[in-house]
Amino acid sequence: MKISGFKYLANQGIENIWKNKMMAFATFCVLLISLLLVGGSALFYFNMNSMILGLGNQNEIAVYLDPATGQDRVQKIQAEIENMQNVDGVEYISKEEAYLRMQNQIQQGKAIFDYIDGYEFMPDGFKVTVINTDSIEDTTAEIGRISEVQSASSSPQVAEFLRELRKVVSVIAIAVIIALAAVSMIMISNTTKASVFARREEIQIMKYVGATNAFIRTPFFVEGMVTGFFAGAGAFFITWAVYRAIFRILMEQGTLMRAFGVGSIIPFENIQIWVALAYLLVGALVGALGSVVSTRRHIDV
Amino acid sequence: MVELQNVSVTYSSGVDALNNVSLKINDGDFAFVVGQSGAGKSTMIKLLLKEIDATSGVVTVNGYNLGKLKKRKIPEFRRTLGFVFQDFRLIPSMTVYENIAFVLRVIDAPLKYIRKRVPYVISLVGLHSKTNSYPDELSGGEKQRVAIARALVNDPQLIIADEPTGNIDPELSYEIVELLKGINDQGTTILMVTHEHDLVRHFGGRIINITGGEIVFDEVISGVDEVLPEEELAQAMAEASAVTNTGNIILPDQQIITPDGAYAAPANDRNGGAE
Repeated sequence: MKISGFKYLANQGIENIWKNKMMAFATFCVLLISLLLVGGSALFYFNMNSMILGLGNQNEIAVYLDPATGQDRVQKIQAEIENMQNVDGVEYISKEEAYLRMQNQIQQGKAIFDYIDGYEFMPDGFKVTVINTDSIEDTTAEIGRISEVQSASSSPQVAEFLRELRKVVSVIAIAVIIALAAVSMIMISNTTKASVFARREEIQIMKYVGATNAFIRTPFFVEGMVTGFFAGAGAFFITWAVYRAIFRILMEQGTLMRAFGVGSIIPFENIQIWVALAYLLVGALVGALGSVVSTRRHIDV
Repeated sequence: MVELQNVSVTYSSGVDALNNVSLKINDGDFAFVVGQSGAGKSTMIKLLLKEIDATSGVVTVNGYNLGKLKKRKIPEFRRTLGFVFQDFRLIPSMTVYENIAFVLRVIDAPLKYIRKRVPYVISLVGLHSKTNSYPDELSGGEKQRVAIARALVNDPQLIIADEPTGNIDPELSYEIVELLKGINDQGTTILMVTHEHDLVRHFGGRIINITGGEIVFDEVISGVDEVLPEEELAQAMAEASAVTNTGNIILPDQQIITPDGAYAAPANDRNGGAE
């Protein structure tokens, strides 16, 4: 096909949108709703995931040394732990730091600290992060065997629980998204079928005068693509507005909500490009394919 | 050129629509195909457009053996013929000009050629003043003239017209056939399906009568203006030197009266056979 021919057909496709305003609007709405349903659930899933991950940074082992351990020995122990197989990093927390942290944590009981003299009673400690949380217990035990270590503790049960939770959420979310996508495909195909059916005569006439299938389909392709593109843009702006509103409301909640990991909700700015791209691409693609596939029934004359 | 050789069509429902039909229409011919509803006319048209395939036999149209024509070659084949429908089948959202230009778009003709050719065929069918009208703004006769212009614009070797006068006032029907005759005079083969016997009698030419899936009559008659009244028909019957198995009454002076009462001289006398 020559370029001029394609230009003509593309123009036809865009003209068709205008000529079949009602059908195009119906397709637009169905695509918009479908994109919002699937996109909304996907975003919900990503945020759940991010929240759980935020809660689940429990791949840490808290290590406290005997307060009487000397400084060179502390450094040696740090090196020893760093050399262990499953250890990712070791952060040294000095007596002083530990003291300040404790002060911060007990805001309301600040008065207690007036009675305490110095921080020498505090132990030196390490925050050890591990590579593989599955064997965090073994690593904890290994650290615990160092003689100066007073205590080494991790909470594998929490990590385990959160891992399981993430699995369950993922499975449910993916199932929901697939189901919504399937329902959307059915709605879209029915709408485009109706839109093509309204023009089956036109298609037949084209066939009788010797039009190739590509000639007949190109305008439908362009039409579906443009409609889908606009539906994608619409879905993006709706998502943008709703997402930001919800984000603001949640962020204004107190510390209680933060305990549930609300702090890990992804700010829209971080993902807006991907959301826009996904909506526009999926919208255009589904719109174009939907209308082309629907011509199939009428094209065989 | 259209040629059917021992063609039969049996639908999957078991109905025999055409039964061992052989037929040849030469280039430049004008042929009427007549017959009652359900006689097999539509089946024949569908065959010629390769909408359906023959159950047996060979169908050749414009040099294409349709039984062996590959699916992707169908558009190429259809571009060699023009088609006129009973219900016009114009695209309502396009103007007269666009409806016709559209056929040339399909074959990817240069824009320059389209701009010259389309107004020319519009003037041929006498619709110059309606170039930018939409189909809904036209009368039945005008719509059919647009459809004929559309069939013509591609300069096809063959035009198939399926009941082109079926949805048109009787007075205007003659105009439509005149128009087709005029196109035929330029060398285009025309096959016109109709059930309007008056038209056929008036214009004459080659008449192919399909009844019950078989060709029962295929002769060239000359046009007549009148039809024999009943009693004269009965008298002719009495005087007949022979009655063919197709129901034609042959008078002693070699004149022929067709089964529906049309009166005509034998073809070789008046028409001199094919031109």
